[in-house]
Amino acid sequence: MNMNTMNESHVDRDDERRLLKDSVRAFVERTGGASRARALRRCSPGFDRSVWREFADLGWLAVTLPEAYGGLNLSLAEMAIIAEGLGGAVAPEPVIEAVSLAAGVLSHAGGPLAEAILPQVIAGTLIPALAWQESTGSYSPDAVATKVQTDSQGGLSLHGVKAFVPYAEASDGFVVSATDACGLVLFWVPASAAGVTLTHHRLATGASVGRVTFDHVPVTEDNRVASADTAARALGLAIEEATVLASAALVGLMSRVLDITVEYLKVRVQFGRPIGSFQALQHRAVDLYIQRELSNAALADAIKELSANGNSSSAHGAVSRAKARCSDAALLICREAVQMHGAIGFTDEYDLGLYLNRALVYSAWLGNSDHHRRRYATYWKDRAQGVAA
Amino acid sequence: MTDWNAMDDEDFRQDVRRFFEQKYPEQLRYPLQRLRWAEIKGWYLTLAEKGWLAPNWPVEYGGMGLSPAKFLIFLEEQERWGVARTPDMGMTMVGPLLIKHGTDEQKAYYLPRILRGEHIWCQGYSEPNAGSDLASLKTSAIIDGDEFVINGQKTWTTLAQDATHIFMLVRTDPQSRKKQEGISFLLVDCASPGITVRPIANIAGHEEFCEVFFDNVRVPKENIVGEINQGWSIAKAMLSFERITLGSPKQSQYALGRLELLAHQRGILEDPVFLDKFTALQLDVADLASAYARFADVVRRGEALGPDVSLLKIWATETYARISNLMVEAAGAAGAMGGKIDFGAAQIDVLGNFYYARPAPIYGGTNEIQRNIIAKNVLGLPS
Ligand SMILES: Cc1cc2nc3c(=O)[nH]c(=O)nc-3n(C[C@H](O)[C@H](O)[C@H](O)COP(=O)(O)OP(=O)(O)OC[C@H]3O[C@@H](n4cnc5c(N)ncnc54)[C@H](O)[C@@H]3O)c2cc1C
Ligand SMILES: Cc1cc2nc3c(=O)[nH]c(=O)nc-3n(C[C@H](O)[C@H](O)[C@H](O)COP(=O)(O)OP(=O)(O)OC[C@H]3O[C@@H](n4cnc5c(N)ncnc54)[C@H](O)[C@@H]3O)c2cc1C
Repeated sequence: MNMNTMNESHVDRDDERRLLKDSVRAFVERTGGASRARALRRCSPGFDRSVWREFADLGWLAVTLPEAYGGLNLSLAEMAIIAEGLGGAVAPEPVIEAVSLAAGVLSHAGGPLAEAILPQVIAGTLIPALAWQESTGSYSPDAVATKVQTDSQGGLSLHGVKAFVPYAEASDGFVVSATDACGLVLFWVPASAAGVTLTHHRLATGASVGRVTFDHVPVTEDNRVASADTAARALGLAIEEATVLASAALVGLMSRVLDITVEYLKVRVQFGRPIGSFQALQHRAVDLYIQRELSNAALADAIKELSANGNSSSAHGAVSRAKARCSDAALLICREAVQMHGAIGFTDEYDLGLYLNRALVYSAWLGNSDHHRRRYATYWKDRAQGVAA
Repeated sequence: MTDWNAMDDEDFRQDVRRFFEQKYPEQLRYPLQRLRWAEIKGWYLTLAEKGWLAPNWPVEYGGMGLSPAKFLIFLEEQERWGVARTPDMGMTMVGPLLIKHGTDEQKAYYLPRILRGEHIWCQGYSEPNAGSDLASLKTSAIIDGDEFVINGQKTWTTLAQDATHIFMLVRTDPQSRKKQEGISFLLVDCASPGITVRPIANIAGHEEFCEVFFDNVRVPKENIVGEINQGWSIAKAMLSFERITLGSPKQSQYALGRLELLAHQRGILEDPVFLDKFTALQLDVADLASAYARFADVVRRGEALGPDVSLLKIWATETYARISNLMVEAAGAAGAMGGKIDFGAAQIDVLGNFYYARPAPIYGGTNEIQRNIIAKNVLGLPS
């Protein structure tokens, strides 16, 4: 289904979502599922640019962006369907990273840069990245050491090092968080700007994560995306949305791994019977199934809460609950899948490794389960204090 | 010739420790993968020259002739220093097997070649359809004149690409009443025509195990160990010592140290949430070490290990896996980065530990099978 016509159609929302789900599934089947990720994993930039253009044609890069920029103005729920479907095939394209997170910040901030850049993102001709974390790995959007400095002539320059920037090597430009005299600011810096250098580290999946150095990069007011509260709100909301979508991708991949494993338990014969007839394995498969269902439920709540209540603490609590559950469940299911397969599960030729590696990446990204449980605890404590007061 | 067994345990421990500390290459300590022959050959030959390659073999066959008690000390010191396993199937499996069941000709031919590093052995038991149910293996060996003719396939054969020889279980009587009864134990030269070895990459990208194909491979009849169709009981007798070595606490102790360093570098060591998880693992490892010591005492007294030794393998491998899981968690945003990660003063291979911990609950008899053994043979539960 081409989504560009979707919001004009009169079918109801559930039907729309079913159609979208079908179209993601059709894409995954047509393009060979996990085998595509296998073929791309050791190449640079680690994904397929022709597939990226196809996503643009399908309208998948436009889903949550406002109509003013040529977007479809659909909800997070639709984007989650895409993230889950692509997660089930470990598709390597950085849809969540570039579109939901980086373009998401621009979209929430609005203004002339959003107007200039977002149509190109939607067309698939420009891939942005968000450079917000620093080498401490802190997830707090305001733990920023990168600075915007003003020289004696009033010229501005950006100085600092950003770490954990996914797909930095493929990005055309960066939305960079920094501080100036008045607080948090966001600047747009093209990747080709003087003073921008990249180093890479390989992730478990083979994809690259960049460390981007901004060495007194000259910027002007035209590069300013947003400042102060507007900047904080745009950054915060996009991070929450990307966290939910990473959870959706984890749900997609854990479901696929559970399916693969249950199927294997049915066909692998030892001692004259399918190994799935051994109760020791049956019960473990059931425990994994329960984790998958809990993940689904937590994800649905997070989508609902965040869509309804944006940057609120109840929404943040729901997001953390989903990310904590989905991260742990995905890793558990992948580890158990390896064990229940025996030696074949430990081979590179079998697809489980692709899923395990992606589970490692998405569970660590934007805060692992430990981080999100801690964050959940702070909201819970705040609420408890509110009740007491 | 030194009579090691006459030495005081502590003196012997110090001697062994000193040798490892002085001679073992620093860059090969605590590798997170099995080392290839090209990497470990130097150390293998150092041991051979010292006469320490086969600590558990009797002196008359060129071993150190260590008592079980001294052998354990040797192994403990080896692990304490992070000395890698050499391709040691010749020393740990083939040597003891031949000394017990081999003919004089087999002993005279094979043992010295193992000690000189001329023959490197691999273990050909598992097949695509015979994993946990090993006795259902199908690779056949049919007598034709003075030779066996082997057809079939082995798989998951660790480091077969570096081996010169393979010891294997083959089916010599397809008609036997029980499937365990038609199996024989054969020694095979990997250079024999008709053998093809295909390395298989594992999840971490290392080619550590292989498929080995046999297409009309002719092997002299005298390469059988023991009687024909008696291979199963011979192979089974070799397993129990493996369970105690797989139950050693050293890998977990080392990993716990790396985790502590990582947590220190990330500034979370004093964090109460982390500390609780870390301490729980510390106690798991400490109790593993105590349980291990009790089984080691059994070995030291020269008694046979019972089926309860399976608990060591389960607890050791699963504890190590839990430690590696917490390493990933404690690394935070860096938890998915491959290779050595720079944590300030320390370089730690987080994923290396995570991957390395995966297969241990699978090989050497899966942990599910070990649990079945305990359920049936220790707790006496009905099948
Ligand atoms: C507080 C309480 C309230 C109850 N209320 C009701 C009620 O309202 N209505 C009603 O009909 N019953 C009720 N029961 C009974 C309950 O359904 C049974 O206890 C239950 O079915 C287990 O049967 P059992 O006690 O005979 O134990 P067993 O069936 O003998 O089981 C003993 C243990 O073996 C395990 N086990 C048994 N079979 C298997 C298997 N195939 N695979 C793996 N493990 C197995 C069980 O999980 C249990 O741990 C109640 C029980 C309790 C304790
Ligand atoms: C790193 C590595 C190195 C190896 N090296 C060698 C080697 O050098 N030589 C060699 O011969 N082999 C080697 N093996 C093979 C190893 O011995 C087998 O993997 C092991 O015996 C399990 O067999 P399988 O992989 O076919 O799994 P399967 O037997 O198919 O088991 C699949 C799953 O089913 C479970 N299961 C099976 N039966 C039962 C049951 N009755 N009750 C409950 N659960 C059950 C298993 O525990 C496992 O979780 C190696 C394996 C690995 C991973």
